Amino acid sequence: MKLRVLILAFASLLLALILGQLNHLLGGWQVNVWCGGLFVAFAALRLDYRTGAASAFIAGLLLDAGEPVAFGTQGFLFLAAHAVIFNVRARAPRDETVVGVVVALLANLALFLALGFLRIDPTVEPARSWLRGFADLLASQIVLALIAPWFFAMQKRLLELSGNNLRDLSRRSI
Amino acid sequence: MLPQRFDQAKPFLTLGIALLAWLLLPTAVKRVARAGFFELQAPLETTASYVRDLQDFWALKTRSKNELIEAGRDLARLNAAYESRIQQDASLRAELERLQSILNLPVPQGYRAETARVVKRDFTSWWQQLVIRKGRNHGLVEGSPVIYAGGVVGRVREVHAYTAVVELISSPGVRIAAAAEGDTRPISYQGGVNPTYGPATGLIEYVPLDVFVTPDTPRRLVTSGLGGVFPPNFTVGYITRVEPSSDGLFKTGEVRLDPGLSALNEVTVLVPESPAPAR
Repeated sequence: MKLRVLILAFASLLLALILGQLNHLLGGWQVNVWCGGLFVAFAALRLDYRTGAASAFIAGLLLDAGEPVAFGTQGFLFLAAHAVIFNVRARAPRDETVVGVVVALLANLALFLALGFLRIDPTVEPARSWLRGFADLLASQIVLALIAPWFFAMQKRLLELSGNNLRDLSRRSI
Repeated sequence: MLPQRFDQAKPFLTLGIALLAWLLLPTAVKRVARAGFFELQAPLETTASYVRDLQDFWALKTRSKNELIEAGRDLARLNAAYESRIQQDASLRAELERLQSILNLPVPQGYRAETARVVKRDFTSWWQQLVIRKGRNHGLVEGSPVIYAGGVVGRVREVHAYTAVVELISSPGVRIAAAAEGDTRPISYQGGVNPTYGPATGLIEYVPLDVFVTPDTPRRLVTSGLGGVFPPNFTVGYITRVEPSSDGLFKTGEVRLDPGLSALNEVTVLVPESPAPAR
């Protein structure tokens, strides 16, 4: 496995840990933060396809491992989100942090809704479930917008420290 | 050079191939991979929970001696009350065993209590679960009931090397055989939707028609002991509302769960002991 995939997987592990601790604290108020879009955005915008896809898939599996869902659900959703972002990234100034944050927010919204449709039990008050889901989504988007610049900078710095030139990587096609 | 259209479709083609390969992958491989990814994260989360405990310890060290003396006095009173309860409990147990022996009744399954600290709370709109700091190394088994001072917490869903995942009774997928306090007829309890900033709730079905409840006079819902997972008479929650079901044969209703369920730091796992030999 390439070193840069491992570095991005490490960054994802760190983010999952931080979000897990945040959710632990927010549990008392029945609020949950889910930032799936953040695991995908940087790699899809700034790196070559293989590295980005592998890191997105690994991040999805990391999240799937502790959740009562079919193993691979988030892995493949992240992979699909990565493919979409990778295809449209040439149309935006993707090196800008603001663009990264906006893409992460949009990806998070789409992934959250997709997961909502997969996970909400239609037999147990679906309308109230969605209401709670939207409250969680609002909290998630706020948290994501706040931490995304830090997470992008950390991923970039980790890759640079390991000798990977981000400019070379982002120019590579499939 | 590849045509541009194929170039654009390649990520989706790769996605399709990966999905097909994943579906064909043996289940055993996926299970091992899942356990591996979980155990990879477990040390980090457990360390974070130890750090939290250390923070609490240092926070408590800042308390004044007077506060500690008061807390010690209160605990001594509680201990005295519990001591007398234990003595009553011992005499009742002896009486129960004598009657079981005379009437040749089957001996109910015993449990070993294993106290565990909470590593992580994960309360989404889709599920409600806890990760606790004890696992296979402490003899925990899947399906064991989990309780706390306020009643039932849930049951152990997954057991790992030194952590376990507990599914809470507030989780929409959980079903329990329950009964209204003082009534032996079974009621089906299911975890419901958990509103933001509010206590968790549950739903009940098959409530007998003669059970009446108002929000001002809620009725305690306890485990019935049916189903073999939960011992009887543990608090599930309080029934706050009942209304006739659509078929008119039973009632359905809502159960308010203890708000403390969302802020648990320590739980007790009841590990089933091996069944006693038949007399």
